[in-house]
Amino acid sequence: MIALEARDMVRTLDGDPPATLVAGASFSVERGRFTTIIGPSGCGKSSLLYLLGLLDRPTSGALLVDGEDVTPLGGDARARLRLQHFGFVFQFHFLLPEFTALENVLLPIRRLGALDATHASERARTLLAAVGLSGKEGKTPDRLSGGERQRVAIARALANDPQIILGDEPTGNLDSKNAANVVETFKSLAHEENRAVVCVTHDPKIAEAADVRIAMLDGRIASIETGAVAM
Amino acid sequence: MIGARLPLLIDIAIKHLAGRKRQSVVAVFGVAVGVGFFLAVSALMVGSQNDFITRLIDAAPHIVVTDEIRSPRPQPGTIAFPRGAVILRHFKTRTEARGIKDWPALVAAADAVPGTIASPSLSGGITLKLGGHEEALGVIGIDPEKETRVSTVESNLRAGHLRDLETTQGGLVVGEELAARLGVGMGDVVAATSASGATRSLRIVGLMKRGQTAIGDTSGYVLLREAQSLLERPFIINRIGIKLRDPYAADPVAKRLEARFGYKAQSWQERSSDILSVLVTRNVIMYTVVSAILLVASFGIYTAVSTSVSDKRRDIAILRSIGFSQGDLQLVFVIEGLIVALIGILLGWMLGFGLMSALGSLRFPIAGETQYLPLDHGARQYLIAATASLLAGIVAAWLPARKAARVDPVDILRGAA
Ligand SMILES: Nc1ncnc2c1ncn2[C@@H]1O[C@H](COP(=O)(O)OP(=O)(O)OP(=O)(O)O)[C@@H](O)[C@H]1O
Ligand SMILES: [Mg+2]
Repeated sequence: MIALEARDMVRTLDGDPPATLVAGASFSVERGRFTTIIGPSGCGKSSLLYLLGLLDRPTSGALLVDGEDVTPLGGDARARLRLQHFGFVFQFHFLLPEFTALENVLLPIRRLGALDATHASERARTLLAAVGLSGKEGKTPDRLSGGERQRVAIARALANDPQIILGDEPTGNLDSKNAANVVETFKSLAHEENRAVVCVTHDPKIAEAADVRIAMLDGRIASIETGAVAM
Repeated sequence: MIGARLPLLIDIAIKHLAGRKRQSVVAVFGVAVGVGFFLAVSALMVGSQNDFITRLIDAAPHIVVTDEIRSPRPQPGTIAFPRGAVILRHFKTRTEARGIKDWPALVAAADAVPGTIASPSLSGGITLKLGGHEEALGVIGIDPEKETRVSTVESNLRAGHLRDLETTQGGLVVGEELAARLGVGMGDVVAATSASGATRSLRIVGLMKRGQTAIGDTSGYVLLREAQSLLERPFIINRIGIKLRDPYAADPVAKRLEARFGYKAQSWQERSSDILSVLVTRNVIMYTVVSAILLVASFGIYTAVSTSVSDKRRDIAILRSIGFSQGDLQLVFVIEGLIVALIGILLGWMLGFGLMSALGSLRFPIAGETQYLPLDHGARQYLIAATASLLAGIVAAWLPARKAARVDPVDILRGAA
């Protein structure tokens, strides 16, 4: 089942000279698969991911989420979609510094407002426990290690049970053990929970473990490979 | 819609402010000082103005009708030919005996208005004599019961009462300075001589405090009947003092009486229009000062919120990526401004209250009497200060909050990656 479909998406920046970040990307992202985007630094991977996550708008072309064209949607509608259907994990954990681990995970839950306070807090605790952070709910980010922060960020990305999870080098700052954990988490989100997981990465090991590899070069899609590479 | 997310947005705003204690405290302090001093200054200004106007209103009756006329009576020719082609000028007006004719009708007309009291009086000049010493005296004949209700004479008496004029044959109330010059005191008798040379004895039954009366040192009160016979003008009066329930209705009532009876009726506003125009200037000055204070307070809020926005660009990007809308973020920072304003207002109220208490306890000895500063303790000033600060706070927070809403999360993410 196709979760995201890019149709000739182009993203340019005005300037002198104008810069082309993404030059006509057409592909689809399926549920139940762990998809990676790879390519040399500066080829436009992050830019493409922002477009897929409705954080940025394509200069031309279209993006379909679950078969529906979201390109014409206004800012509030896009924010609503991000809140309910998208989870982001970035290379730098991006937690709010004044909020504890629990409060950070609670942010999207409270903003959505579907759960009452008790259930919301229960859900946030469960999510933190799932990434192995039981007992650290009350710590602010400055009291957590890099790996722990990244796991809080993952728990937060999953807070509203989104169907599409996007990572931009989520393991870039982690040691190999922590990185392997994150990859396992992402794979099981795709395989066991049938979500669409898209991950930008520089790490060949992660790319090899993926179901789909989208290789980029100079803003273009150079190739799309399916099937895990045998190790 | 807004209700559900409001507690969350308030939480975020509070965390932002708590994370930047020093700037937040400075901004709160700015509002508090602004509100506090506004309260102190306006309590003084409003209080002294009210006090001043009360004195102005009470110094004399609200309306004084005299036997003067502002324009000559219409001449028989003008009455006979109202649309005549001839304009009469330089005609000789008929000389009329001074005094208000048909004054009982005028008094009745005034008394007909509920809460209104009219006090007729007759004044004229006599000479007081004691031994070889002579003093000129403007004598005013009154009805003590009515005059007490119309003017402040009674409360300005050092000794005796106006009503004693009724019980004492030939009673006289004079200023204590005049009494001292004549060397007389309470109960003493002086000789009074009218313009026509008639002489009779008057007995001092009351003394007015020095410097406290509008009629001055050379006037005194006798019974109306007494004045009419002393001045040899029986049944005549030449002045009516009128007190109204609502002093601010004096102007229209005066105009109506003057239009109906033709005699000059002067309201206290007309009498003191030059002073009232000074009060307008005072108010302009006060509100200018106050606006300046509030402007400074809102600068504080503006600075606090706008540095908060630029410090929190990264947080703004995070929240946007999670799914917070532009409106949410704008609201977060407006709420920050509101919180600063609200705490500032509460502290400012306390500060203002303290300043007022301090000012209120100051004592000033004036002319031998201990006086306190006239302060207005009305809730109105508190409300004005709060409303103005809140509005200033919202406007001051609104501008940087709009900037927060416009932060493009992708710009921040690109910069960080
Ligand atoms: N504000 C900008 N103005 C002009 N060019 C920009 C701007 N931001 C990014 N670029 C360019 O856009 C291109 C794509 O950037 P992007 O961040 O998407 O690359 P990337 O593939 O994610 O790189 P990396 O692997 O290093 O993260 C780069 O060549 C970059 O130099
Ligand atoms: Mg990148």
